[in-house]
Amino acid sequence: MITIPYLTALTTYFSYGLLFAFGQLRDFFRKIFDWCRASNLQGYAPICLGLEDFYTRRLYLRIQDCFGRPIASAPDAWFDVVERYSNDNNKTLKRTTKKSRCLNLGSYNYLGFAASDEYCTPRAIKSLKRFSPSTCSARVDGGTTTLHTELEECVANFVQKPAAVVFGMGYVTNSAILPVLMGKGGLIISDSLNHNSIVNGARGSGATIRVFQHNTPSHLEKVLREQIADGQPRTHRPWKKIIVVVEGIYSMEGELCKLPEIVAICKKYKAYVYLDEAHSIGAVGKSGRGVCELLGVDTADVDIMMGTFTKSFGSCGGYIAGSKELIQYLKYTCPAHLYATSISPPAAQQIISSIKVILGEDGTSRGAQKLARIRENSNFFRSELQKMGFEVLGDNDSPVMPIMLYNPAKIPAFSRECLKQNVAVVTVAFPATPLLLARARICISASHTKEDLVKALEVISRVGDLVGIKYFPAEPNKQQQEKGLIKVD
Amino acid sequence: MYVKAVRPTDLNRNTEWFTYPGVWTTYILILFFSWLIVLSVLNCSPGLAWTIVHLSHFLVTYHFFHWKKGTPFADDQGIYNRLTWWEQIDSGKQLTRNRKFLTVVPVVLYLIASHTTDYQHPMLFFNTLAVFVLVVAKFPHMHKVRIFGINADQ
Repeated sequence: MITIPYLTALTTYFSYGLLFAFGQLRDFFRKIFDWCRASNLQGYAPICLGLEDFYTRRLYLRIQDCFGRPIASAPDAWFDVVERYSNDNNKTLKRTTKKSRCLNLGSYNYLGFAASDEYCTPRAIKSLKRFSPSTCSARVDGGTTTLHTELEECVANFVQKPAAVVFGMGYVTNSAILPVLMGKGGLIISDSLNHNSIVNGARGSGATIRVFQHNTPSHLEKVLREQIADGQPRTHRPWKKIIVVVEGIYSMEGELCKLPEIVAICKKYKAYVYLDEAHSIGAVGKSGRGVCELLGVDTADVDIMMGTFTKSFGSCGGYIAGSKELIQYLKYTCPAHLYATSISPPAAQQIISSIKVILGEDGTSRGAQKLARIRENSNFFRSELQKMGFEVLGDNDSPVMPIMLYNPAKIPAFSRECLKQNVAVVTVAFPATPLLLARARICISASHTKEDLVKALEVISRVGDLVGIKYFPAEPNKQQQEKGLIKVD
Repeated sequence: MYVKAVRPTDLNRNTEWFTYPGVWTTYILILFFSWLIVLSVLNCSPGLAWTIVHLSHFLVTYHFFHWKKGTPFADDQGIYNRLTWWEQIDSGKQLTRNRKFLTVVPVVLYLIASHTTDYQHPMLFFNTLAVFVLVVAKFPHMHKVRIFGINADQ
């Protein structure tokens, strides 16, 4: 539940209305000017219909310098951000050769594997020399190396499922698997805040899609009952398959999924559960095995577990884990397996090594230390931000924390001011989030030290005062009050 | 004073913002402030200012709610390209609270405009025409109807 101050909601709508009005005015004048200039594309249909790119042209391009900043080093706790300048009011940005060293609060580097690691990097380099950067083939043709089979066993063992299959890209994993699993006559019930890859995969499958209110198991039950009773649209025949798609940690909210209740409801109504653990695998849970371990759900109850290797493992690619029959079926039918190039061998080796570090199989306790550190860092940062009066979303233990900004003008203000003070944050606005709820999303990493976090807190507090996003009253500093009392005595 | 933002289940980003708290108040406040601005800029009678607000409200809302089709971003791959904004809100369900509110606003504006101009003639004709067009466009029976093919697709 997000609590917005009422006045902020009103001013946010008004600001968007103003931006929209100015955008329409500019478009109107642009149409008049372009009438005079004849184009040589008579008879061809326009690439974009008039309204389609309105948001990109008139709202996004004005603050383009806050997005897509190029970086010049590995995305570790501190990294180099390339400075850019613009001569035409942000329509085009040119890079300079100057770089600034900034604190990285935006990369999904949950366990710190993004930078050079003493166990993983030598092994990745060795596999690069042995196997070459690309397999130059799809899995079925010539792209399955020993690394790929080892990786699949490793992943299946890590998530505690009988078998797994890996793909070269995380987004493609969702958008290519859902059309294979579901077809016309099936029903996909997905959470209203699911990631774009799931939405695309669901749309591409041809199944009927229904949405339930974010993280509300009672609404899921209501939708399930309604849909099962109703049957397929128009014919009212029973559904061929029903699958419920949820995510482990929602990347824009930092919230954990209410998995035990959802799994119980799906068991009751005999629907399949598809869990997308892109952000939670490796980052939460006592031994890093994700949201099932954290919430105490038996992995045999979740039918299909999906995840990506980009976040906690410092690599790229995605996996699907499930029963042996399911994985066998996917290997015959999924186009990402049959036609897409397989995952790059050094990337696969990086994943295998990082899983070994997390489980402690490399002989040190670095994995357990990293997991403990990310948990402490996230809880410390979140509680400090809340004490300062910011509105921070997300549950305890989640390394993703969005700070609410709301007004569209505060997005570039916060982003640019933080960059000036050498802290790089990622800001997200409409249409990735609802119109009212623009936010700055902070991702904490195990490689952030306490000093880094304290510096980040100072900078964010100062910028927050300047920009005006401390929507809640700050909690008074209890230590100072006690000292005062002692002195009086 | 805080309000809770409940997430709606609307997948259409173009219309989902209308279900959050504070939209109705913002709409009414914008109308009121534009009346004040017209009154201070043009130095006319309050009735004439209300007529101007009513007619410009008619032009703006007709253009954006009932004429422009589709969504201002390309993410949804054009599935709403044949629907105007009015046909998109609340996923096409008729007679919801939002739709009823949006139907009542032009009628209330009409009543204020006619009352403050004492029902005098040239203004009354234009005001009545405007409110008639707007209210008929919002009827449930007019969902996806294109009269004489005006604004229909190719």
